[in-house]
Amino acid sequence: MDKREAKRQLFNLAIPVGFFIITCGAWEALVRILNVPVYVLPSPTAIASEIGAHSLSLLQHTGVTLLEAVLGFLLANVLAFTLAVVFAHSRIIEKGIFPFAIALKTTPIVAMAPILVIWFGTGLSSKIVAAAVICFFPILVNATLGLRDVDEQALDLFESLAASKWQVFIMLRLPNSLPYLFSALKISTSLSIVGAIVGEFVGAKNGLGYLILISSYHLETPAMFAAIVAAALGGVAFFGIVNAIERQLLFWRDPVIE
Amino acid sequence: MDTPAVLIRNLAKNYGDLHVLNGISLDIKQGEFVSIVGPSGCGKTTLLKIIGGLVEPTSGDVLLDNLPPQVRRREGYLGFVFQNPVLLPWRTLEENVRLPLDILHRNGAIEERIANVLNVLGLTGFAHSRPRELSGGMQQRAALARVLLYEPNLLLMDEPFGAVDEITRGRLNFELLRVWEKFRTTILFVTHALEEAVLLADRVVILSHRPAMVVDVLTVDLPRPRSPQIFTLKRFQELTQWTRERLNVNSLT
Repeated sequence: MDKREAKRQLFNLAIPVGFFIITCGAWEALVRILNVPVYVLPSPTAIASEIGAHSLSLLQHTGVTLLEAVLGFLLANVLAFTLAVVFAHSRIIEKGIFPFAIALKTTPIVAMAPILVIWFGTGLSSKIVAAAVICFFPILVNATLGLRDVDEQALDLFESLAASKWQVFIMLRLPNSLPYLFSALKISTSLSIVGAIVGEFVGAKNGLGYLILISSYHLETPAMFAAIVAAALGGVAFFGIVNAIERQLLFWRDPVIE
Repeated sequence: MDTPAVLIRNLAKNYGDLHVLNGISLDIKQGEFVSIVGPSGCGKTTLLKIIGGLVEPTSGDVLLDNLPPQVRRREGYLGFVFQNPVLLPWRTLEENVRLPLDILHRNGAIEERIANVLNVLGLTGFAHSRPRELSGGMQQRAALARVLLYEPNLLLMDEPFGAVDEITRGRLNFELLRVWEKFRTTILFVTHALEEAVLLADRVVILSHRPAMVVDVLTVDLPRPRSPQIFTLKRFQELTQWTRERLNVNSLT
């Protein structure tokens, strides 16, 4: 990497950071000038000091929510990908089940969450299921598409060698599906956190959703903002991890960098 | 006498009301290089796919050295080369070339053979490149290397150089000839370029409009090994011209 490239990257980083600082500064100034009550809109410094004061408990709640989200995400992966494999090999099963998958997708997770809490209790499981339900559909759709959307001539090539269905799956369909799958996985990272928090709203003893809800009862707006910041950062980290795995796994897809 | 590498009898193929092939009969000798030309959309690709056992004929028979294509496929008897190189982007060039051996479960010491095939096709040094790093011509050579490595008895080539530029195409034609002279594999070569058909083949099979029938079979009595000088021979021009006329006469009626 030459100097100009390094400079360009630094510049690309500096732009959003600069905007962030300016926005926070304006926010801070407005809150102070207009004397906005803290329970309506806390200033960035108020949020920061809230985070600093309760960092340990905030970390614990974030950990719980992320654990639920990640486990739900993984559960959805296993279930949706398995179903996608079945779909890719049988149009009849796809036609039979797909309408239900769409029904599941169009039902708001908020509407389902109370039922999930009744079924799976107020512990982790109901949130894991909520996160899984919300991730399920994009993974299913993209994985099915990726498994199916293989080059016709590549299929002919495999068939001209009398390849088994298993060989076609392992050597052709599976690697072909990965780029499609990962674009769904990246969407699902943030969706899974939504699912977990919604589950926590309905009935929980900890987690960011619980923290937000309890803080709202007591008009502790800085704590709510702290939880929101934590949820956002958790989401960014989760996305970053999946993104990094994608780069490792799909190195063959990136354009050549000269 | 050898049994024919490919024996085709009264082959017909319909897709519903669409008649694609109509009573095609043809014998291809072992080690023979046969070009197939015909108007576009006449069913050349379908014919190759039936010969390769990828498509079932409506009626008629195909035997590859006495056995049906379905049986021969499993032995790695035949190899397809398509218009697109069909390289898997996640495999390196070498891994792509090795793909048929993976499918056929032929393992063992093949490093030397891979090196040899890559060398023959001028791909040495690119073994670990990904397909997207290769030019179109190199990708097509890689497809050729892939099919040569497992040494099929019959090559079915469907306009293999149709997607590369004119200059590369000319070079690939002579490389193919060189390879064929070395391996003496039976080749069925579908093309719509008449010069290419005559340049390469021992015989040129001319097909009619859909439903395709064999209009004529031209024996190419040009000396081998063939070099670019061949284009200047009067006989080459006559044969090309004759092929063109047979094709045109048929297209007009």
